[in-house]
Amino acid sequence: MKVDKELQLTVAPSPHLRSPDTVSGAMRDVIIALLPVTLVSIYWYKWHAIFLVLVCLAAAALTEILFRKVMKKPVTLNDGSAMVTGLLVALCFGPGTAWWTAALATFIGIGVAKELMGGLGWNRFNPALFGRLSVILIVPLFQYVTAAFTGMRPFIGTIDVATQATPLAMMKQGLYSGMPSLGQIFLAHPGGALGETSALALLLGGGYLLYKKHIDWHIPVSIIGTVAVMALLFGKNPLYHILVGGVLLGAIFMATDWVTSPVTPKGKIIFGICIGVLLMLFRLVLAPTEGTAFSILFMNAFVPFIDRLTKRPKFGEVPAAKAKTVATPVQPSVKSS
Amino acid sequence: MTVKTFERGVFLPHYKEFSEGQPISTISLPEEVVIPLHQHTGAPCSALVKAGDEVQAGQKIGESPAFVSACVHASVDGTVVAVEPRPYFTGTTVESVVIKVNPEQKEPRWPERDIASLSPEEIKAAIKEAGIVGMGGAAFPTHVKLSPPRSIDAVIINACECEPFLTCDHRLLVERADALVEGAKLIKRVVGAPKVYFGIERNKPDGIEAVKSIISGEKDMEVVSLEVKYPQGSEKQLIKAVMDREVPPGKLPFDVGVVVQNVSTAIAIYEACRYQKPLIERVLTVTGDGIARPSNLLVRLGTPIGFVIEQCGGFKDAAQVGKIIMGGPMTGWAQTRLDIPVVKGTSGILVFTHSMVVKSEYKACVRCGKCVDHCPMFLYPNYIGMYAETGRYNLAAEWGAMDCFECGVCVYVCPSNRPIVQFVRETKRQIAAARRK
Repeated sequence: MKVDKELQLTVAPSPHLRSPDTVSGAMRDVIIALLPVTLVSIYWYKWHAIFLVLVCLAAAALTEILFRKVMKKPVTLNDGSAMVTGLLVALCFGPGTAWWTAALATFIGIGVAKELMGGLGWNRFNPALFGRLSVILIVPLFQYVTAAFTGMRPFIGTIDVATQATPLAMMKQGLYSGMPSLGQIFLAHPGGALGETSALALLLGGGYLLYKKHIDWHIPVSIIGTVAVMALLFGKNPLYHILVGGVLLGAIFMATDWVTSPVTPKGKIIFGICIGVLLMLFRLVLAPTEGTAFSILFMNAFVPFIDRLTKRPKFGEVPAAKAKTVATPVQPSVKSS
Repeated sequence: MTVKTFERGVFLPHYKEFSEGQPISTISLPEEVVIPLHQHTGAPCSALVKAGDEVQAGQKIGESPAFVSACVHASVDGTVVAVEPRPYFTGTTVESVVIKVNPEQKEPRWPERDIASLSPEEIKAAIKEAGIVGMGGAAFPTHVKLSPPRSIDAVIINACECEPFLTCDHRLLVERADALVEGAKLIKRVVGAPKVYFGIERNKPDGIEAVKSIISGEKDMEVVSLEVKYPQGSEKQLIKAVMDREVPPGKLPFDVGVVVQNVSTAIAIYEACRYQKPLIERVLTVTGDGIARPSNLLVRLGTPIGFVIEQCGGFKDAAQVGKIIMGGPMTGWAQTRLDIPVVKGTSGILVFTHSMVVKSEYKACVRCGKCVDHCPMFLYPNYIGMYAETGRYNLAAEWGAMDCFECGVCVYVCPSNRPIVQFVRETKRQIAAARRK
């Protein structure tokens, strides 16, 4: 038998089949899932929202290119993760946010929390939340150079909605009478960050991610459930606590981030409950805002520990009680012919 | 009927349509066959012949005194032209007996005998003498597997054929169910089991019917219809599905009182006992999107895969051929040459065009957990991969690398295309090396 020199054979270890799932496909689906809430925020905030989103997307792309080039790594913009982070950062800010604040948050999120940690997969903290929280500490610095920056702020009209306090702040201050109705908050209500403008839109996005199997129910349900239980325990209206602020955005899109959440159902539920408890402590006792962001980021640090804590037994590694049934023949009475 | 299965695993595209309707056919003999002396798990055989010797089909040409070994036989009438190392499908070379095939082949005659009176020991001796190994791919010597150190209460005939593309066991179910049932009875007698189950994935309804019609009325035999899920045909997953017993880590099926045998193996056992026919040929599937005529063929062992491919009309278009795989697409071995011989464990030859070849490079783990969700052994392929990649093999072992049977599910589902099976193999090598020190 002659060896055919014409053949161009690929040699690779098994398996030789792959599912169609890719990281870039999943990122594309996350962007699709975020579209409804993005569109609602654009409906309310018009150019303010569009401008903020574009600034964050551009900052995300530029930051990733910059860090990859400096570290002499291939640029991986096509995996889509930078775009997801950019969009999520934009959704964490209110429409009146100065563009440099949002850009700086994106830069820190992608540059520091992701690329300096080794790139996608190696980051311990959710990049978007890391960026969002970092600027709370850093932005006051801008006041020393305000004059220079203020001139760089384009005027795109006044924001004609959301001139009042956000529902979350009102709730914190006990101003329940002035709050919009639950139904309105659920459907769409301006106030707060871009990503907080419609619970319905967020749930639609979450449903899409569930349908596409990019996330599963454990983390969102355990966070939301914990928030509801805690609210009831403290005599608050659980629906308000779920629907206002960043709970849904965080529970559906941030806490479920693949890289920074546990891998087993048990671990995910523990992770979700801890986030829910921390979040409610923040709301009820501490600061009025960013409780969700801080709780998720705080729990991100515990993910390796949770994975180890919830390590499941291997196939066949049964507890003693179950081992007894294994040793008993299943069909004891049938006689051989 | 209830459909049973195991936990986790993955639903793969079947790709069985290429060849499942093709009846088993025989092909002509090549000019030369190459019989590797080590095509099984265990000790290699020593050659019993030398260059220049005349051999007959069925003549024993290699043997080892070790218990865990399987003798090999000439698959044709011919002249030994060499006993030398030859390329083997795993990429190494193996000492092999090369036989030039005589143009005139004597009609092989296998003396028929009554199997009803054979004792377990006689059956086992016949199996050993025939050189039978597990023909599903593992190639573990069958007489060893049929010598369990404890009582057995069930035999499971593995007719899952869970690997996509492969259809040879399906065809055997349809065409040779009688021989299969006879073989199953012999296995049952050897191990003294009260019950035989035929585990068949339900995408083979004609196979299920064929076996059912033969065993109807026999209370100690039962067909179990199984979900079409990969790796249903892995022993531990099959035992879980059929009998709801879990083989503990590091243990074997007999530890839970079960013996599993593949369809082809059971038929070979029947032929070895009934006709004293050694294992010199097997049924395999030649398929894929790059082969002209997908087929199920009865092939003499030692036939070069290139010759088998030619007998199926060759490639559709040689320029488009991107990969040739021996075995199934999930656990098979990619080949670089066409003179590799068909051996006892060869269940298929797959010809993929370039469009089927996985080309993308792998990326960092994004910890999506899909591998954890799907791993049929409940391991943590994500951590195994991350730790092995960075050389921390002890940690990779701690997260389950040593219990992995390399089914490839984790790699299949991985969105980052990570070669976790390779990481597992490297971990096993490193841990074994560390233990030897």
